[in-house]
Amino acid sequence: MAEKQPPIETDAIVIGAGPVGLYQVFQLGLLGIKAHVIDALPQAGGQCVELYADKPIYDIPGIPFCTGQDLIDRLQEQIKVLKTPFHFNQEVTLVEKRADGRFDVQTSQGTFISKVIAVSAGVGAFKPRKLSLPGIGSYESKQVFYKLGQVKQYAGQDVVINGGETAALEAAVALAGIAKSITLVHRRDIFKAEESLIQCFQDLCTQGLIKVQLGQVTNFKVTGEKLSSLEVTDFNGQTHDLPLDALLPLLGISPKLGPISDWGIDLENKQVLVDTEKFQSSTVGIFAVGDINTYPGKKKLIVCGFHEATLAAYGCAAHIYPGQTIHLQYTTTSSKLHEILGVTPQA
Amino acid sequence: MTYVVTEACIRCKFTDCVDVCPVDCFREGPNFLVIDPDECIDCAVCVPECPVNAIYAEDDVPGDQQSYIKLNVELSAKWPSITKSKEGLADADDWKDVKNKSGELIR
Repeated sequence: MAEKQPPIETDAIVIGAGPVGLYQVFQLGLLGIKAHVIDALPQAGGQCVELYADKPIYDIPGIPFCTGQDLIDRLQEQIKVLKTPFHFNQEVTLVEKRADGRFDVQTSQGTFISKVIAVSAGVGAFKPRKLSLPGIGSYESKQVFYKLGQVKQYAGQDVVINGGETAALEAAVALAGIAKSITLVHRRDIFKAEESLIQCFQDLCTQGLIKVQLGQVTNFKVTGEKLSSLEVTDFNGQTHDLPLDALLPLLGISPKLGPISDWGIDLENKQVLVDTEKFQSSTVGIFAVGDINTYPGKKKLIVCGFHEATLAAYGCAAHIYPGQTIHLQYTTTSSKLHEILGVTPQA
Repeated sequence: MTYVVTEACIRCKFTDCVDVCPVDCFREGPNFLVIDPDECIDCAVCVPECPVNAIYAEDDVPGDQQSYIKLNVELSAKWPSITKSKEGLADADDWKDVKNKSGELIR
């Protein structure tokens, strides 16, 4: 980590920038509460973008059809006026109650102090799938990279890429003509990516700039201090030794329910147990909405998450402004809400 | 509730489902996978990953596949965990459209 930054103090933190997290920001905003959002991914969207960006959703009220990406774009548009700070590429590692009743929230990159926390972390933090070869971890960031990064660092190198989806093919294409050699290892000869990318990739294979090796990564060899080759076992059980300078396992990302069990809140079957009045957890001040929570009758639907986020926002407001009555106001008629939303409705 | 692996998986075992599971609840037998119902959190992320549509929510398991609900419970107690996908079985493509293959299950 770079220089230690002072903690960011805020009224509310939303953990997870999926659809429910984004709507949580909106509902908090309507009650005058500014939130900071933390997400492990480099962009908003959660499962909607990672798992079904182009797939259809038919059960959002008033939107007969949209894709996962459409929905996220619309939710982001709706909260644009709130100018919410997003902290991407960081996973929340620790949540701890402070003596003053607020919470310390630690991420992989910094610390926050917040009065309330809304956990909208879905099925967990999305992380790159790692190679499961014992001992390979010690070469990470030296010769093994889970992100392509700067293309020029691979100039003149023998590069082995592992994977068969968009990220792997993009990396192979980007390195063609720059790296000394590129070998893409994949377990089957079917690639998952846009047609144009697959075409471009296959053209470069035909030109001899990229080689494809089908099979499973089974071992690696070390010469001195360096990772020198990767062993791949093909369909017939034959092994192939691929000499390398750099290894790029680009196997996609998958969600993992992370350290939430260490936050001291009651869980049921790994999900946060909440009440259905405020969607508050067993720890006062920590709320949970969307796929991460559970309660009698819970249905894992986006629309239910929107309802939960709305009531959780009122719960947050009651916690942040104790003793104050929180009035329900309608966006159609309230001039205060019009001001927050930056709109001037025509009569 | 839980999700359940049904007959279609037998002799295919493509394992695409395994990578996306946030709680590593898949268990692996010789030619079939099951879901440990005590670990599954009902997130449904695995359902669209299966190339042979073998995975159903417990409440949606087709009538003729009901016995697989119990089978997942039983086999998950004795099979080891699988947390990373691998190549499907060698002749998986020959078996993916075969119906009534429950007799092929190796326990």
